[in-house]
Amino acid sequence: MRFLLFIFGFIVLALSCEKDKVSHVPTPYVLEIPSHFPVMQIPENNPMTVEGVALGRKLFYEKQLSGDNTMSCAACHSPANAFSDQNQFSEGIDGVLGTRNSMALINVGWNQFFFWDGRAKTLEEQILLPVENPVEMHDNWASVMATLKNDVTYKNLFFEAFQTTDIDSTHAAKAIAQFIRTMISGSSKYDVMYKTENNLPLTAFEQTVYATVTPEETAGYDLFKSLNGADCFHCHNGPLMQVQKFSNNGLDATFTDNGRGAVTGNPNDMGKFKVPTLRNVEYSGPYMHDGRFGTLDEVIEQYSSGIQMSSTIDPLIEFANQGGVQLDAFEKDLIKKFLLTLTDEAFINNPDFQEP
Amino acid sequence: MRALKQLVIYCLGACLITSCKPDEPEEITPPCPDLLSVTVQPVFGGETLYLDSSYQTPEGYDIQFTDIKFYLQDVRNGLNLFKDAALFDYRLRGTNLMERVGDKNDYVSLQSNLGVSALVNHNDPVGFDPASWLYISNSNDMHWDWNPGYIFVKIEAKVDTIQDGNSLFDHNVVYHVGKDENLKTLSFTDINWVDIGSGYVLPLKLDMFHFLNVGASPIDVKTAFTSHSLAGQEGLSEQIISNFQESLTPF
Repeated sequence: MRFLLFIFGFIVLALSCEKDKVSHVPTPYVLEIPSHFPVMQIPENNPMTVEGVALGRKLFYEKQLSGDNTMSCAACHSPANAFSDQNQFSEGIDGVLGTRNSMALINVGWNQFFFWDGRAKTLEEQILLPVENPVEMHDNWASVMATLKNDVTYKNLFFEAFQTTDIDSTHAAKAIAQFIRTMISGSSKYDVMYKTENNLPLTAFEQTVYATVTPEETAGYDLFKSLNGADCFHCHNGPLMQVQKFSNNGLDATFTDNGRGAVTGNPNDMGKFKVPTLRNVEYSGPYMHDGRFGTLDEVIEQYSSGIQMSSTIDPLIEFANQGGVQLDAFEKDLIKKFLLTLTDEAFINNPDFQEP
Repeated sequence: MRALKQLVIYCLGACLITSCKPDEPEEITPPCPDLLSVTVQPVFGGETLYLDSSYQTPEGYDIQFTDIKFYLQDVRNGLNLFKDAALFDYRLRGTNLMERVGDKNDYVSLQSNLGVSALVNHNDPVGFDPASWLYISNSNDMHWDWNPGYIFVKIEAKVDTIQDGNSLFDHNVVYHVGKDENLKTLSFTDINWVDIGSGYVLPLKLDMFHFLNVGASPIDVKTAFTSHSLAGQEGLSEQIISNFQESLTPF
């Protein structure tokens, strides 16, 4: 009997010494979406969490994602440049230049396709590609994840975000996507102008901002959306300042880069590229898919007098046969003044988007 | 042994009583509602119309349509709402216009606005249900973000206006028609829903040759190539939406 009691006591002791299973319930992240913006569609398999966003932010600035540990996502998407690159083409770790200008990461959570040619259908899919691109970060995910798995800090961060230690590239992409979805720009002077025009209520702060809108900025906005004026609004309108489509905006008569056409193989898509947002355009230069224009003045001149006809030119380009909308110097200045109302300093300098 | 006999008798008795219980009435399964779809096939006279393909206008110009979109709103048969709004986008969604689950007998006819009624046309486009085609993310480039509201009908095309055998489609045609005064209605009566096995379809056709060639109101794309929100374009806008209304018919 005494022996039996001993065995029983031993079993109880052994069980009580079993290591507790560690668990962590991630905290839902509530996006602060401006009232005049649409709902952001979050993928069901990648819900926003505080832990996921924090991990994504760290990974966004993580140089170990590149082959020689010198380059992070932020190298080509710098906060100071509206999360794009001030260089015409970004230089990869091997010193090789890309062929397209780095896209600004602004309100990307609302985009329906990614890259200039739309070859990625989801943000998560897009994020996976630059790491392995030999012209960019020139690494491979297996090696990146092996490094991160051996890092205790990352191990914990991944576990907190995804409740697993069995992590791979999809977890990293999901985390970075969560962070990028938080990068919302909706507090520029333009937002106040847009809300006023659409009879949406302004907060007290917005009313003070609206009081600073100059007659030139208003005239520039009118010109921006005037059919007989600059006619910019067909591709750039609404709270996102972009229409979700591909367009040939008359840069070239013949194409050295087929853009969307290279993805679809459709001759009618040749020379078409994703319409980018104009938000923070003051900081996001150089401009166009190939970064050929260094200043806003050059961009405005292009639409005014530099339009080139081609078989796939967007029918919405007014007066394309005459080279563009033919603005005079005063009108060009008004357009530029309006474009500067799209600057959102709170977004550019948001501490939550800077390197942690 | 006697006890066993009694047990057997009780059991048989119990079985007898239960077996005599009147049958419960069979549960009636309600008929499964059908998927009702409305499709629109653009045609050019007698042939199927494909975007970016060439057709000849009544004036003899070669034309390539690049975009055909339009809004229907408040689609219903009397009190039976079929859809709050539908957006046709030939390039993005092909011939699909709208669908819902329901009983086809509730929709033996359909009435709708061609365009968006003034009652909702100027509402904040973020205020609609995200599932609605009027919601800002879904309307995309079919919403003018200033006062006129939604674009009701959008037709874009390129035309070769010089008949010299050289295919040069350098004449752009852009018809964007919105504004409350251009709202039209559509009515389809005695609808013959076509049984396709998985549901029922109401096939409509949109004849773009007829659109350009409505008897008393033909449109010459060489001279009438832009219609938008400007005051001077009202006449053409009215003509465009009226011709469009006439060109959308059951197959």
